[in-house]
Amino acid sequence: MSGKGVGRSHSSTTSGGSVSRRQLLASGAAVGGTAALGGCLGSREDGLTVGFALPFTGTYALLGESIVDGFELYLDQRDGEVNGEEVELVRRDTEADTNKGVDVTRELLIKERADAIVGPVSSAVAMAMIQPIETESSAIWFNANAGDYRITAEGCPEYHFRTSFNDWQTSAPLARFVYEEIADNVCLAYADYAFGQNSKEFFKEAFEELGGEVVDEVGAPLGTDDFSPYLGDIQDSGAEAVYSFFAGGDAVNYVNAFSSFGLDEEMTQTGSGFLLANDTLPAQGASALGMYSLLHYTTTHDSDRNRTFVENYEQLHGGSPNVYACQGYDSAQAFVDAVEETGGTDPDEMVDSLVEMEFDSPRGQFRFNPDTHEPIHNMYVREVVESDDGESVENEVIDTLEEVEGPAWGCSN
Amino acid sequence: MIESVLRATLLGLQLGMTLALIAAGLTLIFGMLDVINFAHGALYMLGAYFGTVVAGQLGSFWLALVLAPLMVGLVGAAIEIFSLRPLYDRNPLYHILLTFGVAIMIQGAIIEIWGAQSMQIPVPDLLSGSVSVGPVNYPVYWLFVLAVSTLLIAVVWLAIERSDLGILMRASAHDTEMVSALGIDVSKVFTGVFVFGAVLAGVAGVLLGGSRSVHPGMGFGIIIETFIVVVIGGLGSFRGAVYAALLIGLVTAYGALIAPTLTDLFLFAMMAIVLMAKPSGLFGATEAA
Amino acid sequence: MKSVVELFGRSQSSQTGDQLLSSRGRLAVLVAVGALALFAPIADAYEPFWLNMLVRMMIFALLALSLDFVFGYAGLLSFGHAAMFGAGGYAAAMLISEVTANALVVLPAAMVVGAVVAGIIGWFSVRARGIYFAMLTLAFAQLFYVMAFTDLPATILGVESFTGGDNGLYGIQRYALFGVDFTPTLVYFYLTLAAVALSFVALLRLSNSPFGRVLQGIRENEERVQFLGYDVRRYKVLGFALSGAFAGLAGGLYVPFQSVSHPGLLHWMISGELVVMLLLGGLGTLWGPMLGAALVVFLEEQLAGFASWEIVLGGIFVVVVIFAPRGLAGAIISVRDDPTNVATNAKRAIRNYIDKVRR
Repeated sequence: MSGKGVGRSHSSTTSGGSVSRRQLLASGAAVGGTAALGGCLGSREDGLTVGFALPFTGTYALLGESIVDGFELYLDQRDGEVNGEEVELVRRDTEADTNKGVDVTRELLIKERADAIVGPVSSAVAMAMIQPIETESSAIWFNANAGDYRITAEGCPEYHFRTSFNDWQTSAPLARFVYEEIADNVCLAYADYAFGQNSKEFFKEAFEELGGEVVDEVGAPLGTDDFSPYLGDIQDSGAEAVYSFFAGGDAVNYVNAFSSFGLDEEMTQTGSGFLLANDTLPAQGASALGMYSLLHYTTTHDSDRNRTFVENYEQLHGGSPNVYACQGYDSAQAFVDAVEETGGTDPDEMVDSLVEMEFDSPRGQFRFNPDTHEPIHNMYVREVVESDDGESVENEVIDTLEEVEGPAWGCSN
Repeated sequence: MIESVLRATLLGLQLGMTLALIAAGLTLIFGMLDVINFAHGALYMLGAYFGTVVAGQLGSFWLALVLAPLMVGLVGAAIEIFSLRPLYDRNPLYHILLTFGVAIMIQGAIIEIWGAQSMQIPVPDLLSGSVSVGPVNYPVYWLFVLAVSTLLIAVVWLAIERSDLGILMRASAHDTEMVSALGIDVSKVFTGVFVFGAVLAGVAGVLLGGSRSVHPGMGFGIIIETFIVVVIGGLGSFRGAVYAALLIGLVTAYGALIAPTLTDLFLFAMMAIVLMAKPSGLFGATEAA
Repeated sequence: MKSVVELFGRSQSSQTGDQLLSSRGRLAVLVAVGALALFAPIADAYEPFWLNMLVRMMIFALLALSLDFVFGYAGLLSFGHAAMFGAGGYAAAMLISEVTANALVVLPAAMVVGAVVAGIIGWFSVRARGIYFAMLTLAFAQLFYVMAFTDLPATILGVESFTGGDNGLYGIQRYALFGVDFTPTLVYFYLTLAAVALSFVALLRLSNSPFGRVLQGIRENEERVQFLGYDVRRYKVLGFALSGAFAGLAGGLYVPFQSVSHPGLLHWMISGELVVMLLLGGLGTLWGPMLGAALVVFLEEQLAGFASWEIVLGGIFVVVVIFAPRGLAGAIISVRDDPTNVATNAKRAIRNYIDKVRR
């Protein structure tokens, strides 16, 4: 019910926006022909503002919506208020487009005077957001999904806190599991763009360090529809296992083709968690059975904390939470705790308090590395199994890797 | 090695024949209506989405394969009658812009109705699994797609070359005034051609919706590829489009074996070279429609 | 506001003749530039984000202007102008991060790069005409896009990164010149305004020059111009390269402003959107497409809140194509010519439409 409070404050933004737009049009006309302008009056002395720079349309819309849903759930549990101040949520669509990402980030920072930025989903967008956030230096940045390690590695942005994961964490730690439990030789398959290349390199490095052998590497262009030529190369490699990085539509096409060609009978499929995620599994179905992946959150994770989270989430939004919802939820936790502890929204003070904190998250205990602001959390090895009703498939956690951290990438304080 | 080549050849043929289904409509529409239909990719995408709905609601892939393309045909009829028809006497440039706008609208509507998540058309048990084709295992469904699209293309080919309807269509493309002087309603012929192209694209959408993920970006994704096919085959030539589609399908499949990242580059270079050297297309320069 | 419209309108009505913009039209442009210049500090104090949007509007207006010069004016439909826009942008990004942030060095360099890319595309493409020309420019532009996306130059040169692949080049600083730092958006606004205004004047003069007349002649009747002894192909390539220079300039302004240069700048969707801006604004008027570009940027910004903004945007394009083929400029002109008959005209257009649909 307090969720309504959040909703109301949100809708009040929108109506406020349209009124002031009209005022502006009038004033624009008054100065002579520059009527094509738009915007809100930014008089917000009261309350806190959180700006979501997320994709709400296009391929990644589900991810953006889930992050907001998770964020709202935590606020809802706090009655939509922090320190007695109402929290206003402003959503802006990045369309997962780099330039649009820069535009909406500026809009949130300058026009909406956001105290915190939550987002984005795509790493290319995150890379482009570094500069605008640094220039304005007025808000803390909770990166609720973009995992490219270079966001940290290139300059260690001060206000950047990864409430999600980085690509090292979803690839390298799986190497030991594969080496010890599955095979000492693998073929690497990856979507040939920055994120896929990073994941592949991190896994390879870790796997070879353990004494494993990488037999072959197969890169497929982003957005590949038909994987059969690549599957041929994978099969010809003769490896016992595959480590793959594909996400979204690519993951659906790849996993389905992998099974259609009967490769699942010859070799074991492993990969980063996005290969077999909540947003791809419904379209993958039985093809995904028996495949292994690594991620920091799983809906079926067996803990009291997570069960409560799942129940509350289903109650508020009707539908089970995915990893993105958990990332949104944790972004809210981090924001609320930091505001409460510092008693305000000064980003520098918030940085100091955030690096000291520990969060009780549905994913398990989690905190930030004080130098890199990267998350330190458990990673879970999951296997795709039939769900209890036998109608669909789901991930089951089969192994937990405790407190996975990762390299420091030259950041220090 | 031989396995890889065989697999790539099968894929190339399948890609080619499905591309031909889409390109056939595009090139016929251009040949007769003088319209570059930017919304053709969106019609293909609608086929896939209608396919998921029919297959999901009625539980039958076979019904989806029949009904979904007909539904796409209806949408095509609406587009032709309400937006293209008033524009035939204008510069073809306006057709591009109009269909571009229509494509954006359809994409928006799809996101609005079905969301942006990937979907897939469930394939019947009869067609699932794989069979061995010589030394390689190949999915039954992909072979099915190859067979159905080849059959359809063959039927359309015969219809255009042999039947009275085909002759009428080609005549309308050449000389609308003469045809209307014969007492035939040219605007009905135009609508028919557009709908026919839409239905073919819809069939391709359903067929590929069973093997590829169905998502809102697939319309704009396929349209440029189809342009390449139509340009290389010669704008307006059906026969050329079929040959070119096979060529592009095979190049794409073999390209994935040799140098995946360079395949796109190669395709665009081919398109540019053909346009410069032989703007009427590699095939079908002497052909009427 | 109204007088501005009227001035523009009057000049436009004589456009079928010789001059592209009358002296009153020029005055109107001066007034518009002056108003923008005066408005900026107010916006900066009142709501700085407007400035942000104004800068983007002006940059896309410049890009639309550059395309209108070859398409609307010379009749060459380019479906690949994104290539020059992106090339100029990448050139600016590389120069700023590796060499200098001096605007007087980087912006001309971006223009040169845009002109060279356009020259190459144009040289290969002008042998084709109409729709074939459009397809060729599309193919070439996509070649450049794929090269940027896969970072092919890096592979060829054997360096680690050249275009930065799919992530592009990011963290690009804004310009500096004579000790002035262009980082504050207000300062950058004036830089952009000056660049756009100068470009408009330059292209206007070019259009009204003998060179421009020949281009216009080519649009009207290529054979005749050829017959009169002009080297039509050379004129086309030159016109295309000139247009590319201004598209490159737009890229050079856009990339440092956004702090990032990425392959999306070269994608055909940008070219497509650009053609839509031209049509919305009114082909061949130079000022119309600029308004069209500003309108599209504005609409995208304002509609982004709606979940179904694509339906609305697509719907607007469709309606404009069917009912107002001469675009904003055409609408403004007809309102100016006959303000009382707007309703009658609209009725006639709808009746005409229904007649044609029923045909």
